[in-house]
Amino acid sequence: MNFSRRDFIKTAGITLGALTLPSWVYSAEAETFSAIEVDKNKLADIALSTAKKLGASYADIRINRYRLESIQTRERQVQNVQRGQNFGFGVRVLVKGTWGFAASPNVNEEEVRRATAEAIEIAKANSVFQKKPTQLVPAPSVTTSWKSSFVKDPFDVPVNDKIQFLLKLNEAALAVKGVSFINSSMAWVNEQKFLATSDGSRIEQYLIRGNPTFNVTAIDRASGDFQTRSSLIEARSAGFEFIEQIDWTAEAKQAAEEAVMKLKAKPVEPGKYDLILQPSHLFLTIHESVGHPTELDRALLWEANYAGTSFLTPDKTGKLQFGSKIVNFVADRTQPAGLATVGYDDEGVKAQRWHLVKDGTFVDWQTTRDLAPLIGEKASYGCLHADSWGSVPFPRMPNVSLEPAKENVSADDLIGGVEKGIMIFGRGSYSIDQQRYNFQFGGQTFWEIKNGKIVGMLKDVAYQSRTTDFWGACDGLGGQATYQLPGTFNDGKGEPSQSNAVSHGCPVGRFRNINVLNTAAQTQS
Amino acid sequence: MLLTEQEAKTITDKILSLVKTGDATVNVSSDKLSHLRFAHNGFLTSGQRIGRSANITIWIDGKRGSSSTNDLDDASLKTMVEQAEQIARLAPADREYLPTLGAQKYQPVNGYVEATANLSPTARAKAIGNILAEFEKSGVIGAGFHQARAQAGASATKNGNFNFERSSVVSLSTTTRTQDGSSSGFFFRSHFDINRLDTMRIARAAIRKTLDGRNARTIAPGVYTVILEPQAVADLLGGLTFGFDARNAEEGRSPYSAPNNKTRLGEKIFDERISVLSDPWNAELPGSQSAQGGLPAQKIYLVKNGKLENLIYSRFWAKQRTVEPTPGPVNTILETSEKPSTMEEMISSTKRGLIISRFWYIRSTDPRTASLTGLTRDGVWFVENGKIQYPVKNFRFNQSIIQMLAPGNVEMIGASERVGSSEGGGASLLPALKLKGFNFTSQSEAV
Repeated sequence: MNFSRRDFIKTAGITLGALTLPSWVYSAEAETFSAIEVDKNKLADIALSTAKKLGASYADIRINRYRLESIQTRERQVQNVQRGQNFGFGVRVLVKGTWGFAASPNVNEEEVRRATAEAIEIAKANSVFQKKPTQLVPAPSVTTSWKSSFVKDPFDVPVNDKIQFLLKLNEAALAVKGVSFINSSMAWVNEQKFLATSDGSRIEQYLIRGNPTFNVTAIDRASGDFQTRSSLIEARSAGFEFIEQIDWTAEAKQAAEEAVMKLKAKPVEPGKYDLILQPSHLFLTIHESVGHPTELDRALLWEANYAGTSFLTPDKTGKLQFGSKIVNFVADRTQPAGLATVGYDDEGVKAQRWHLVKDGTFVDWQTTRDLAPLIGEKASYGCLHADSWGSVPFPRMPNVSLEPAKENVSADDLIGGVEKGIMIFGRGSYSIDQQRYNFQFGGQTFWEIKNGKIVGMLKDVAYQSRTTDFWGACDGLGGQATYQLPGTFNDGKGEPSQSNAVSHGCPVGRFRNINVLNTAAQTQS
Repeated sequence: MLLTEQEAKTITDKILSLVKTGDATVNVSSDKLSHLRFAHNGFLTSGQRIGRSANITIWIDGKRGSSSTNDLDDASLKTMVEQAEQIARLAPADREYLPTLGAQKYQPVNGYVEATANLSPTARAKAIGNILAEFEKSGVIGAGFHQARAQAGASATKNGNFNFERSSVVSLSTTTRTQDGSSSGFFFRSHFDINRLDTMRIARAAIRKTLDGRNARTIAPGVYTVILEPQAVADLLGGLTFGFDARNAEEGRSPYSAPNNKTRLGEKIFDERISVLSDPWNAELPGSQSAQGGLPAQKIYLVKNGKLENLIYSRFWAKQRTVEPTPGPVNTILETSEKPSTMEEMISSTKRGLIISRFWYIRSTDPRTASLTGLTRDGVWFVENGKIQYPVKNFRFNQSIIQMLAPGNVEMIGASERVGSSEGGGASLLPALKLKGFNFTSQSEAV
């Protein structure tokens, strides 16, 4: 079914006059769900004028449509193919310095009025007990549209092509002797977001992201042992070219061979090792130990009841030695293919790039319009996000990435400088405390290094460290050629809990003298 | 707002009437969520959301397709059905397809209270305002989250089954910290009846833990005797019943697998006083009246008196093995066959050990042994010679839960109470446990 120009005008609204219609709106596939039958700008006018009339000092409305597709297979069969769509709106109001929010899937004028009044009622009820009113830094008014970077819209690709891709991948793994099972899946998300704020902004955004993945199991039935190996290729913001441009079959075959190898791998001897961490693993360590502690809402105790606080506090800004001098972290919502890359955040602040850690020193925070004033800042870095029209937008992580070395350093160069070490690929078990200090990470495959050379495979490896000790022990980073941008599709935070997709670019890294434990031996009570 | 049984039936009938060929199962649901988040002794965000959705799975010649929408108008439902049919025509045959169930008879559960569904924002603001005042009075910095959710929905099949259910739940969690950030306490409870949730009790419990946790000392990690409060047990074992999958066990990839394609069924895996069960009609923890695939839920034991009594057979796997599919689980209950011990008895009988309030960031490290890593959070106390001596700083642990509950490691078991995992997930009915050994592997400075 085609998305006609008439439908688009109804959707985007003719009051957008100055907006140049982006080309994607003509080609975007859209089913005849009633999602396309509303005049968003008219509804926004109603919400914002109602909120103002009822006493809001600020208001915004998001009218969003989400399309989802997922396919699950195991071995030679398809377990499920699912498509879904979800449409609704959420109104956020600030009354006497207190937030109120209401949301509904009934996207019509009467319901927008009702929900706006409900949000006001909630804000007013709570404001009676509010001692410190919330304040917002300003954001320039803008009317625009933005589209994430992709070539081939996955929702236009026939389902059968996706099924055949997964079954072929499964065959490649099952062809390896010793492999018993494989589960594979593919998930695609399309967000069509509309935001109107009482500051005058009207923003349309269209985002695509994908998460193809698999997990191979090898079983030694005689001993009862089993080992798994998951894909080392992580989710990204991309279209179906993500599938076409990578040799997934080779990755599945390698995964299968490594799952079988793990059954016979040498259990690690606990102790101190130098670690060579590949980007497929290091990105999650960055996420947990750098991404989360630099969220200002955590440092200000807003997440104290759930996700936790941070060992970083505002008085440490510009002073705390976070890592060694070669460690530089950038927050970046503009990075192509980044899962947290947007044009604008969910309160109309333009995407930006800034340093969180510079030359090893912690220098800045992730902020929103209500967080920035609390540390004396005059502008937000644009980190507000909601995972649905029905969720309250709140501070979420941008892509947080480790800059590569300026020199052309390879993984072999780093391995060459290791006498006793382990190289780790892939995400495994990960756990970190509520202030982001003490962590323990596993991986998918572990390779023993002796005197500058890989000598064999290890299993049951996890390393444990403290954030600043760990980044302080980083004495080598790969160059741009080793840089990758892996990401995670579902990062939970907040109450009610919300899910965020975020990427963490990084080169291969070397970390000296890190505590390694054997997860199989450690569990004996 | 919430669908009535008649409204739900009208919608499922309408959807099924659009299915031109093959078999189908449909679900329609509606919910209302009301929430308030507070931190630093002030209100943070608060709102209400109504939601609804429908989904359908269709099999045409054994080929399967699914689609969902949250637009319930006629055109959208028609599109949803067409999309599922389109996918089903493209998909390879679903080798696990079994015809959907015909009419079933369900024994209703009682887990819905109107007052929970219709919570007043003004009354909630007052209740939380009173808690904030209590925080101020006690000199602590408090954060927390209050939410109420009501759901109503139905499932129906092309072969004539229809099941309508309603449920409600309200919960409050609070975390309080000392002004200097050196001590923290947490308390969390939920109920389906808002009149049974004592908000001030929850706040005061968190405050007490915070004040009792001041001046924590550092002690070395290692294997300690532990007294796990129900919250800590919930963090480790919440939803335990859902991990007893028969297929995984028989395929050799579960802690309940045994060598040479066997399982541990019939083996004494836990202390002989422990039973693990699911009971849809439990008065404190009502579950769903419908189990997997729409089967009427029944009370089932996974572990009885320490012995692995049942594994969970899906309808498909049961057919493969020519056994009956398992009518559950729908909730998690762990109970003792003996008179439950009190916390006081656990403490007074401890020569040297630790009291643990809560665990956090728990992740699997080895699925073969159900081994987990994670950290203690919001209160650890050192016990010696039958008395609490002083609070201590947090630890990281690495521990197999199978070994933890194994014969010889469980010393005392408390009375089960309704408690939810603090990392999310629903409530379970779990006791405090005193365990002979629990493995702490490193220190954590986090508060």
